[in-house]
Amino acid sequence: MRELARIFIAVGTQSVGGGTSTLFLLRRFLVERGAHLSEREFTEAWALCQLSPGIHLVALAGLLGQRVAGWRGVIVAVSGMMVPAAVITVAMTAAYGLIADQPLARAALQGMAPATGGMTLGLAIVLARDARRHGLRTVVDVSVVIVAFAVLLLTTVSSIAVIGAAALIGAVFLGRERPTTPEGAVG
Amino acid sequence: MDPLTLFAVLLKDSALALGGLGSLPLLRQDLVATGFATDSQLVQALAIGRLSTGPNGLWIVSLGYQMAGLLGAAMALIASSIPPLVILPATAVARRWLLSVPFAGLVRGAALATAGLLCATGFSLIVPAGDVPSWWQVVIGIAAAVFTYQGRLHPAVVVIGGALLGLLLAR
Repeated sequence: MRELARIFIAVGTQSVGGGTSTLFLLRRFLVERGAHLSEREFTEAWALCQLSPGIHLVALAGLLGQRVAGWRGVIVAVSGMMVPAAVITVAMTAAYGLIADQPLARAALQGMAPATGGMTLGLAIVLARDARRHGLRTVVDVSVVIVAFAVLLLTTVSSIAVIGAAALIGAVFLGRERPTTPEGAVG
Repeated sequence: MDPLTLFAVLLKDSALALGGLGSLPLLRQDLVATGFATDSQLVQALAIGRLSTGPNGLWIVSLGYQMAGLLGAAMALIASSIPPLVILPATAVARRWLLSVPFAGLVRGAALATAGLLCATGFSLIVPAGDVPSWWQVVIGIAAAVFTYQGRLHPAVVVIGGALLGLLLAR
């Protein structure tokens, strides 16, 4: 149990930027170094976690923690990965808050806003690329993306309604191919 | 916004999102459009989420802290940690259904819609409503999108690069 805690605290505090770097560290500690799981078990768990709501890496931590040490493993893995990282995030936010009103910080924010906007855009395109089907079906899938884009920009319809409607349409019309890839737009 | 309502919003939007960034359009609609938070707070949270350690979905902890201090951060941490764990009972009792064709379609539909909503949110952060961005801000936005899509540059480098260009070019 202690080793499990050590592994997930290390993953939470050593992977900067989330996404693939967190996934890479998890694989390294649990599959390559610790041999707690086989490569196949890890890949299967990740494929399942991409079906979960919210942060997929939390689902992965929970699933892997459960495999290694049951429900106590879930708590240790999720809190080990999330709590120290959250403390670091709060410390960084508090530190930025001290200088947020300074002219230099405001100038930096004018560059960070389009940078974060562009990163969001880039991740969205990766998400669409990984979720879309192939051949002519791509046209249908891209249409869903464009409609959701237009609805949010041009109307006041709730985003939740958009996701719910797309999920229903998906369940009826968009099956047939697996929607996930080994790494995808992780988070 | 009182803490309990804030927690309910964070939990609901985390539970209905796919991925760490999937809650961004939902939270922007629930918190920024209603005046409880600002786009600047959102940008700071997203940037810090990319510079900090752990999953990038922890950006909502930064947002929670900005909105309601340590209590807000703790609520955001809990709200973002609970929904993904639904996969544990789901895999135990309904693994076959999770791997079925209709469920694959349901997740695909939700993922495609989330991608469209995220595109719109990203676009709105580069080109805010009622505001004309400078040419260099548009260039930063396009470059950040390309670098993120290619995955060749670490996200922290993109954020720091944007901040440095802001320092150099903003007036």
